[in-house]
Amino acid sequence: MADSSAPQFRRAVIALSGGRTDRSIVALASEQARPDHAELIGVHVVEIDWTLPLDADVAGRSEDAQRVLDIAEATAEAHRYKLDTVLLQARDVGAAIVDEATERDADLIICGLPFRRRFGGDFAIGATIPYILKNAPCAVWVIREAMPEEQA
Amino acid sequence: MFVLVVGGGKVGYYLTKELIESGHEVALMEKDRVRAGQIADEIGSVVISHDGCEGKYLHEAGANRADIVAAVTGDDEDNLVICQMAKHHFDVPRTIARVNNPKNESLFRHLGVDEIISPTRMILGSIEQDIPVHELLHLAALGVGELEIIEARLQPGSPAIGRSALDLSVPEGCSLFGVIRDGKPTPLSAGTILAEGDKVIAIGRPDCEPALRDQLIGEPEG
Repeated sequence: MADSSAPQFRRAVIALSGGRTDRSIVALASEQARPDHAELIGVHVVEIDWTLPLDADVAGRSEDAQRVLDIAEATAEAHRYKLDTVLLQARDVGAAIVDEATERDADLIICGLPFRRRFGGDFAIGATIPYILKNAPCAVWVIREAMPEEQA
Repeated sequence: MFVLVVGGGKVGYYLTKELIESGHEVALMEKDRVRAGQIADEIGSVVISHDGCEGKYLHEAGANRADIVAAVTGDDEDNLVICQMAKHHFDVPRTIARVNNPKNESLFRHLGVDEIISPTRMILGSIEQDIPVHELLHLAALGVGELEIIEARLQPGSPAIGRSALDLSVPEGCSLFGVIRDGKPTPLSAGTILAEGDKVIAIGRPDCEPALRDQLIGEPEG
């Protein structure tokens, strides 16, 4: 039986996509982290295509990338919690999130999943979430946003 | 060094793995999605699931900044197309092609592939080292593929037997650099008199082969 006094998690990596789910997952993580003073690390990955070297100065010059981190920090602050942020460059977002969580010894990865459909109507989960689910050594929470009313 | 490997068969897979372990930046292109997924599961996010014969995808894979493109698919035509595009559209400094049919080697050279690796030729060479042959053996390609290391085993009938190695009229573009006698390498000197069974090692351009064959192989007896 699980020990109810054990913290839910002590260090979580929050995968910030820059999309509409970022605010809700940061808010949720802040509330869930508070009781045990868990550490939250927001990670945004700028994907670098193969035409550029991996160390090309892309993320540092990107205002969009900085804005993603600023919004996440502000959301955590609004919930009176501290969020450390990290900006990464990688070839693959999923692999970078898993590597970062592993390196930081995180015991949880939190991801947001927007509700999208492919052309033809099938639900589209993308490639990043399945990669994380398959490869993360720690627990993974995936928060899928609600289905839009017109599609429900 | 950034190496773009095209072809995710056994050769491409192990080549990519070794290059990563040596600390190089590597991208591997494999057009079969299932195979690409299997490789990505094993060696990480360096696999691009596209056909390297298409310029658009070669560009996406970073051919524009590759130091080397190695085309190692199982298809000679594909390897030739990949190397030609890499060379002429993306100015890749060094292209390496796997050639399965040895008869395609000269075509690849003629069309500007820098280095040609022929597993068939290598195995053939290895087999021929142990059996009497009346031909020159290609041991390896050198530099940008314009030079080869060649071996000639002197057999009865060879015009070189009994002559000093330095007296042979070696064609321009070719140089003799050693003799293997009774399994021991010997440098060439004025006193080196060639004998039956000697293996003469030369470096030269492929177009020197006929003249070299005349000098070292001649018309074998029997």
